[in-house]
Amino acid sequence: MEPAPSQGVRPAEGTLKEPAPTPSPSDVSWLHQYWKAVVSSPISLVPLFLLAFVGGVLLWASELHNFGTSFWGTYWNWIPPGPGSSYGIGYFALGSVLTAGLAILLATILSLAMAISIVVYLPPIASRVLTLFTDLLAGIPSVVFGIWGFVILAPYFGRTLEPSLRDALFWIPGFGGPEYAIGGGTGILLAVFVLTIMVIPITTAVMRESLRAVPHSAVEAGLALGATRWEVVRRVRMPMARQGISGALFLGFGRAIGESVAVAMLIGATPQLPPSLYAGGYTIASYILDQQDSAFVYPILLQVLVEFALVLLLITLAVNLVGHWLTRDQRSPGRRGLFS
Amino acid sequence: MAVANPTLAFGEDLSYARGRLLVRLGVDRVIGWVLLLAFVIVLFPLVDMLGWIAERALPTFTWATLADNQIGTGGGLHSMILGTLLILGLSTGIATAIGVLAGLYTAEFAPRRVAEVGRLGGYLLAGVPAIVLGYFGFYLLVLYTGWNYNTLAGGITLGIFMVPFIFRTTDLAFTNVPHDQKEAALAMGSSRWQYLYRVAFPIAMPTMLSGVFLAMALGLGETAPLLLTAGWSNTVPTNLLEPTGYLTGCIWNFYDFPSTFGHYQTLAFQAAFLLIVIVVILNVSVQVIAEHYRRKLRGLFA
Repeated sequence: MEPAPSQGVRPAEGTLKEPAPTPSPSDVSWLHQYWKAVVSSPISLVPLFLLAFVGGVLLWASELHNFGTSFWGTYWNWIPPGPGSSYGIGYFALGSVLTAGLAILLATILSLAMAISIVVYLPPIASRVLTLFTDLLAGIPSVVFGIWGFVILAPYFGRTLEPSLRDALFWIPGFGGPEYAIGGGTGILLAVFVLTIMVIPITTAVMRESLRAVPHSAVEAGLALGATRWEVVRRVRMPMARQGISGALFLGFGRAIGESVAVAMLIGATPQLPPSLYAGGYTIASYILDQQDSAFVYPILLQVLVEFALVLLLITLAVNLVGHWLTRDQRSPGRRGLFS
Repeated sequence: MAVANPTLAFGEDLSYARGRLLVRLGVDRVIGWVLLLAFVIVLFPLVDMLGWIAERALPTFTWATLADNQIGTGGGLHSMILGTLLILGLSTGIATAIGVLAGLYTAEFAPRRVAEVGRLGGYLLAGVPAIVLGYFGFYLLVLYTGWNYNTLAGGITLGIFMVPFIFRTTDLAFTNVPHDQKEAALAMGSSRWQYLYRVAFPIAMPTMLSGVFLAMALGLGETAPLLLTAGWSNTVPTNLLEPTGYLTGCIWNFYDFPSTFGHYQTLAFQAAFLLIVIVVILNVSVQVIAEHYRRKLRGLFA
């Protein structure tokens, strides 16, 4: 064991190691070792096995070679199924990346502001109440966001917000475009707006924890040198929490790109190269949800959706692996939360 | 001085400051207020949504809404409430059994490397989009088995969805038991199981319980995996191999009917209202449990 720290000095996070457990007689017998390594250890790996099972079933069902290279293109023409039909994932992938990317962009700004407020500026009681509210936001079902967006927001977006945005910001790419694209209000912009609200609780939670995990000694050193709270945030906390903050972005992106229900209700269900952000689009996730009924009837569509699900699974696995790697510092005991 | 109490946010006296110091302190304070705008931007939609849903759901929300089946364009949510409870019961059972076992083992018994891989696995499973799990269930449990849409498939799929959350909180709960407690228990001569049962379990219980509740809240709000596996029905299922209705599905099925179709959209709003109420109750009970045990175990976590 390391020597006890001198009084009044707080040891840096994670420098004290737990003592290694003393082996008991049963730990050293070869039978126990065997039991531990082969029979009982896989209990920890059950979630991993479930993941492998899900991925395995989809891989087993996949027949990507039947679609050829046109699967990675943008040409979509599936009626009638058969020779000459084409199934390109291009516009769906574009929609997924576009909506999730824009949502994460907005969510980053908002949740970074919220996390800094909660950690640095607000008194503890206000921080706690606001944390409760964002947690509540995380618990609200996506389909509830969907119906609110469709019934309440869409008319407002279509009649008021989007025309005036178009008038004011037409010189920014994506905000101009033809007038017909606005339509009834459903479209990429509405989906992005609702997605932003949906991922904010997750990104805020991860950013909050990584800003909090900055060692007190560094923060106190900054304050003792006469820096203001904002200067400490800007020069000490944010640089030291950089990894956690970027990890939060990946986690939020993985969440946003996998969201199917609210997006399917709001994005306008049009696989196309969108002329503007007001126009309809489609995402991989929402297409799977929308078309599974037809998959019952058309075996070829069933196959296409398997490939879609597989692509989505691979994207989210990659994104989450990066996010996991970036947020690894937060996972010392006592720092892990539900979403981080 | 401004730095005397770093948590005191607004309202220090700046009258002593001059020149560059005043600018720096002023920037600090202004940024404190500007950052609060983010809360307004985020909480305004939340309040707006809650208000609208209450306004659309409550005027016609009666006992019959809970007690009647949906018939034609009218009726209530009876079968969907029962279906939700049925699916949630199945999935919570499956997920709790798997999640608690795996989490407990990972925290207490597994070799370090195995535990790390296990945690990564749980983490990645939590990141799998619900729609992918749903399509997996659809392919395997609906089409491949030839059972058609059924309640059991919904329960299993939703169970897989909930496993990583329960796994992670159980693991967290047991790894967070103070090491002193373990050493004290073992030094007093208790066996590993006695330690687990008498010492670790009571301390870990509230966190585990809130993990289960939060997983239930998340499972309750899922739509996509159920639409693909449990199908839809407006009667109460008589056995597990029949399709069933559920509250989120009610919203999905009825949200885009215009008002000329009578009661449909109102029914969807009522289901949304009911879902929010249940989610709030689950969230509040998690807080209450946590607070209760925090008082009871005060001093334990230093």
